[in-house]
Parts: sequence; C-alpha cells; structure tokens
Amino acid sequence: MSADESGLKELRSSVREFLEAKSSEEAVRKLLESEPRFDPDVWAQAADQLRLPALAIPEEYGGDGFGPVELGVVLEEMGRALFCAPFFATVVLAVQALLATGDREACARHLPGIAAGRTTATLAVAEETGSWDPALISARAIPDGDGGWRISGHKSFVIDGTTADLILVVARTVAGPTFFAVDRTAPGVAAEAMRTLDATRAMARLTFDAVPATVLGAEGAGGRIMADVLDIASVGLAAEQSGGARRCLEMSAEYARTRYQFGRPIGSFQAVKHKCADMLVQVELAEAASREAALLAAEGSAAFPVASAVAHASCSKAYMFAAMESIQVHGGIGFTWEHPAHLYFRRAKSSQLLFGGPAVYHERLLDRLGI
Amino acid sequence: MESDDMRDFAAEARRFLDAHAAKAADRAAVTWGEGDDSMAYFSSLPPEEEAEQVRRARAWQRTRHENGFGWITGPPEYGGRGLTPVHDLLYDSIESEYDVPDTGVLGVVGLGMIGPTILAHAQPALRERWLPAMYRGDAIACQLFSEPGAGSDLAAVATRAVREGDDWVLNGQKVWTSVAQHSQIGLALTRTDPDAPKHRGITAFLVPMDAPGVEVRPLRQMTGGADFNEVFLTDVRIPDDHRLGEVDGGWTVALTTLMNERNTVGSEGAGPVAAALSPDHLSALMRATWTWDDRALRGRLAELLVDAMATGYLNDRAQRTLRAGIAPGPERSVAKLMYGQNLTRAAHFVSECLGPRIIADTGRWGMYSWSELLLATPALRILGGTEEIMKNILAERVLGLPKEARA
Ligand SMILES: Cc1cc2nc3c(=O)[nH]c(=O)nc-3n(C[C@H](O)[C@H](O)[C@H](O)COP(=O)(O)OP(=O)(O)OC[C@H]3O[C@@H](n4cnc5c(N)ncnc54)[C@H](O)[C@@H]3O)c2cc1C
Repeated sequence: MSADESGLKELRSSVREFLEAKSSEEAVRKLLESEPRFDPDVWAQAADQLRLPALAIPEEYGGDGFGPVELGVVLEEMGRALFCAPFFATVVLAVQALLATGDREACARHLPGIAAGRTTATLAVAEETGSWDPALISARAIPDGDGGWRISGHKSFVIDGTTADLILVVARTVAGPTFFAVDRTAPGVAAEAMRTLDATRAMARLTFDAVPATVLGAEGAGGRIMADVLDIASVGLAAEQSGGARRCLEMSAEYARTRYQFGRPIGSFQAVKHKCADMLVQVELAEAASREAALLAAEGSAAFPVASAVAHASCSKAYMFAAMESIQVHGGIGFTWEHPAHLYFRRAKSSQLLFGGPAVYHERLLDRLGI
Repeated sequence: MESDDMRDFAAEARRFLDAHAAKAADRAAVTWGEGDDSMAYFSSLPPEEEAEQVRRARAWQRTRHENGFGWITGPPEYGGRGLTPVHDLLYDSIESEYDVPDTGVLGVVGLGMIGPTILAHAQPALRERWLPAMYRGDAIACQLFSEPGAGSDLAAVATRAVREGDDWVLNGQKVWTSVAQHSQIGLALTRTDPDAPKHRGITAFLVPMDAPGVEVRPLRQMTGGADFNEVFLTDVRIPDDHRLGEVDGGWTVALTTLMNERNTVGSEGAGPVAAALSPDHLSALMRATWTWDDRALRGRLAELLVDAMATGYLNDRAQRTLRAGIAPGPERSVAKLMYGQNLTRAAHFVSECLGPRIIADTGRWGMYSWSELLLATPALRILGGTEEIMKNILAERVLGLPKEARA
C-alpha cells in the first residue's frame, strides 16, 4: 500500500499535531530525566489513535502495510519533535530486521503484537566498540540439544535495551553471525542503562548468560541480513535526522529575523545570513537524499542501497552542521541548558555516530558503488 | 504518472531522434584510456574549429525546429510547439540518450534566457523578426548586462541611452559577454534616467550586433580561450521599436532574464564534465593513479559523491514537482550553488590523485586533460550570480531574513 501526495500530507499533519500535544519541549525534558525514557501512556495513544507501530508492518502480520515513504514522513516529524518513544528501536530496527530475516514464522509470532502496540522490541548488534559490523561481534550461541539455542556474551548501545520486550540479538555460531530472538524476561538476561550523550535515546548494556534463544532465518546468514537491515534502518535514521535539521534551520531563521543587535535584526548581517543559507542548502540536500532513498526502497529499486548510503551520510552531515550553526546563531542563549539547541546537538552527534560514523559509512557508500 | 499524451510525445521524440542521430554510448561507463578525454567546460578551439562547431550547432537546431522540437514551450505563432515545460524536460532527457551536436552556443543564453524575455516584453514586430529566427538556429543572442562597474550590482549599469527622435543612441561598455562574437542580437540594459533611483532609470533594448558602433573584442579568460568578450557601444543608433518594456522600466525586463538564467544554469547536463562526478570514472582514475586504497582520498571521494548524488536527487525531485504541475521551491538555486561547488571539489580531488601529472602533461590519457576542468571551476562560482549573491537570495527569499542595507 502507498499513500498519495495528499495522503502523505494528511499523515504528516496528524503526526505533527499529535507530537505538538504529546511531545512538547517540556514533555521531552521531563522524560530525559526519568525512567523509562518514554511515557507508556503516550506510546499507547500513538498506537491506538494513530496506529504508528502498525504503519510499516505488512497487512498479513496485522499491520497497515505502508512502506518506507510513509515511515519516512513519520520519522521526520519525530525527529523534529525529539519524540522519546520506543518507535525507532521497535519499528525501524526490530521490525525491519524481522522482515529481513525472511522468517515468516517469527514474523507471524512477533509482528502482530508490535503492530498492536503491545510489544516493544530492539536490535542488539554492537558490542564494546560500537561497531555494527557482524564480523566483529563475539557474543556466541550454542545449541541447547533440544533444537533451541543459548546465547552468552555482552551487547552495548542497545536502544531501549532496558525496556524492550523482545530483543533481536546477532550472535556467532559455527556457521557465522546469526539472528536470534530473545525474550527479555528470559532467565540470564541482565540490562543496565548506559549514560548517553543524547538522553532522548535510551541505551543499555545487556549481558546474556546462557539465555534461551530462537534462530531467525538461516543460521549463518547474519552478515547478509545485517546489510539489508542497515540499508533500510539508515534511511529511517536519515529521515529522523533531516526532520531535526529542518527544525534547527527554522529555529535559527526565526531567531535571526527577530533578534536585534546594533539596531538591526541579526539576520541582516551577511555573516549570519550566509550561515542560514548554508544551513538551508544542507537541509535541502539531506531532505532530497532521504526522501529519494525512501522512494527507491518502496519501488524495490536496484539503486536503493547506494541511495541509502548517500542519505545516511548526507543527513548525518546536514544535521550536525545545522545543530552546530544553530547554537552559533543563537549566541549565548544557545549554549544554555534551558534552550533546546543542545538537545538537537546531542541527537545530531549521537545519530551521526550511531552506525559507526563517517569513516564507516563512507566506505559503505564506496562499497555499494563497487569502488 | 505519465499520461497518454506524454507517452505519445516521447515516442514521437524517439522516432525523430532515431532518424537523425545515433544512440550515445552509456555515458556512465568508462573504459580507461579509450575515447575522448577532454574535460573542457569552456572551449579553447582554434577559430576555424570553433566556427565549424557553431555551424553544427545551428544545423542541429534547425533540424530540431523543422521536426517540431526547436521550441517546445513556445507559442505556435512564432514557430513554437505550444507544449508545457514538462514536455521540454522530457525531450531533454530523451535527447541526452543520443549523440547530438552541442547547441550550448545558441541555447544557454539565447534560447534559455533571452528568448523568453523577448517573448514576454518585446513589441510584436521585434518578436516576429527574431523569435522564429532564434529558435530556427539562424540568430544567436547574447546578454549585454554586466559592465565593468556593474556585476553583482546589476542595477548600477552606466551605459547611457539617449532619445533622439524615433531612435535611441547608446554609449558605454559591456563586459564578460558570452557568445557575443557569434551573436546577431544582444539584450542590453542601459541607463535612461540618471537621476532616478537606480532600479527605476533603466531601459532594455535589443541591439543588432551588426549595427554601426557595436564593437566586440574577445576577452581571453583564464582557461586560455575566449568564450566571452568586451562589447563597446559607441553612438549606436537603435529604433524605439527595439525597446523591451517601458522606458525606465527595464529592471522588470532584467528580472525575467535573471529568473530564466537561474533555471538554465546549473542543470548538470551530460557534457564531458559529467565524467567529473561519475563514480565509475573517478574510481577508474584512482586505479590508474595507484591511489585506490589511500584512505584519506577514499574518504574525500565519498564526501564528494554524497554531495554530488544528493544534488542529483534534488534535481530529480524538482523535475518531478514540475512534472506534477507544481512550481518547484528553492531546489534550482540550491542545485546551482552545489553544481559549482561539486565540480570545484571534484577538480581538486582529482588533482590530488594526479599529483604532478596535472601540472605538466605526460601525454597520458585522462590526466593532464583535467587541468581544463580545474581552470574552469572558478568561473562556475561566479557566472549567473556569484555564490554570495545566491546565498543572499536564498536567505532573503526562502528564509525571509531581512534585506541587506543597500545603497
Ligand atoms: C564565464 C562567465 C561568463 C559570463 N557571461 C556573462 C554574459 O553572457 N552576460 C553578462 O551580462 N554577464 C556575464 N558574466 C558576468 C557575471 O554575471 C558577473 O561576473 C557576476 O555577476 C559577478 O559580477 P562581477 O564580476 O562584477 O563581480 P562583483 O560584483 O564585483 O563581485 C566581486 C566579489 O564581491 C562579492 N560581492 C558583490 N556584491 C556582494 C554582496 N552584496 N554580498 C556579498 N558579496 C558580494 C561577489 O560575490 C564576488 O565575490 C559572465 C561571467 C563569467 C565568469
């Protein structure tokens, strides 16, 4: 299913309206100092009223069957509002990973609960170094003799790791990196919240001590699956980033129009004007890259993996730039705790590095281009 | 989204092109060491070759015109086809699959910028005289706007036009005038009321380039060739019916041209410089220069490609918006700005891969030829409005920031 232009507009405005009511700056600030880092009531409303968790889940699994384009619109809005919710980990990382494993049985078991908003989920790949490269992981899984598996090891940087009901874990077997599903209440799972640069995105360190687990998809197929997951998750992240960057630009332009120094609005000084124009250029490029990638994903185009890598790099750069320059345009007030600029700065930096950072995603782009 | 009408039009364009041109080889593909390795953005051909190129451009424009593709958006009474900008875009994208002569000498300034201005502002006799001729390839037009004292600040033009009976007498100097050496007409901005505020005392005229008193002097540019010129106007007599728009109302006319300029400049055509941003070409170059696994250079290549490809996506989206009948937003201005930036960065990236081989010609294929692009890049940040001016426009018109204090 896919929405036309006016459908997308409607989706955007209903999500924006919801977030303006439920994810005001005040609400975000309250959440970033509380546990869990999201409001379960608001999450339930997002599920009941807007069916957000169901959005991109295929209809056969109880979802609404929309695709990456619609998901992108929602993520742009969430990025703007710094919405604190298990959406990214559940809908972008875990759902996409489940679908990418091609394991229909597992999809049928887990996706309906996610679509209904009952289950939250996450994906645990990175370990101590933060790398998402499945070749670099050391968590291990061994057969338990009854057709099941047991996982042992540590995972770090697991988004919503202390709260997600379902944890998808990439662990090593003799066949190679493999995806597993783990119930967070299973014996042997321990979760410890990590201190985070961006407090609006909760992360945890998980310890697995011979935890019972179920294989997802083919054993040893983790490398290939992970590549697909990263392609689609990067586009989701890119949409979130471009929404955040657009917000930084809007705040800056608004301030530059209204803040007076030397008897004129600071936006009439060319140094400030050009800063804002540079931000606009970055934001326009980022938005085009992320939306185009989502479109290519929806079309199943062969050009998608390249576009995904471009979107990730372009949006990471644009968001970081917009977040930095926004503080500069705001002057001293921009550096205060009470101003929202630092919340965007933190989100921008942490998103830029979430999947490994520029050196990693640049190589990923060159790899996708066959260079 | 394509309608039947569009499909029919595309099929007709293909039939025409199949009959008159050969399919181009895949431009993205590159076989190192084979084919033409020119990276020239500006030509620096010897005069006979340049004349031959202009002849070919005119001939191809005439062929297009005779087959209904010479002026796709133009009104039928002047030889146009009366179709939409979307048809125009569609034709361009189809034509880019074929090897056809480069018509830039006619197209970029004349057909892209001056033609629409004549259509919007010239008196009927002038439109009848020149529009069909231009789109048939008979007349080339140039833009006589810039002066030694008026570049970014175009409203500062000082070339005087003084009324004498039914005529006007022009005196002054224009500069940086592209293709003036090949032009039959030029659109000139002149000062007609020195006492009025500067935007209000300007009048636009169409100047026949063979009128007595018009002198074109080639101006050599830093690439070595002479694509642009100085144009001296000494007691040039122009009849009043060659005026565009109102007396002292020339600024409105200029705005039409400038608007079309922004639409024309910055579309990253399929010319030889397309290779500068082609991943395949750049990676082949890295292999040929043994810089393939230089980590720092690879990082820079990726950064360059990210911007170049994102600019491409932005252009694609702008075209789709246009196709859906919606006026695009700031995409074209952003794309123009990025076009200059991307090519500049590409040229410097490549020069790092090549090292000394771009400072002296070793005779190897595809190496020293990059110096042609390198030396052209400074112009791309200036022509059609400098980067600084484009940023002012984006900040003021798109973001609504206050105007600069202006004299
Ligand atoms: C290859 C080429 C072809 C051209 N072809 C044509 C043509 O066919 N017809 C024609 O009429 N013109 C043509 N031009 C001229 C071109 O439009 C001007 O060069 C351009 O508008 C800049 O004007 P200028 O050269 O007088 O520079 P200036 O206006 O003197 O600018 C010098 C520097 O000052 C900066 N500056 C000026 N004003 C501001 C401001 N308000 N804010 C910030 N910075 C500012 C500029 O950005 C630039 O960096 C061509 C130029 C080139 C390079």
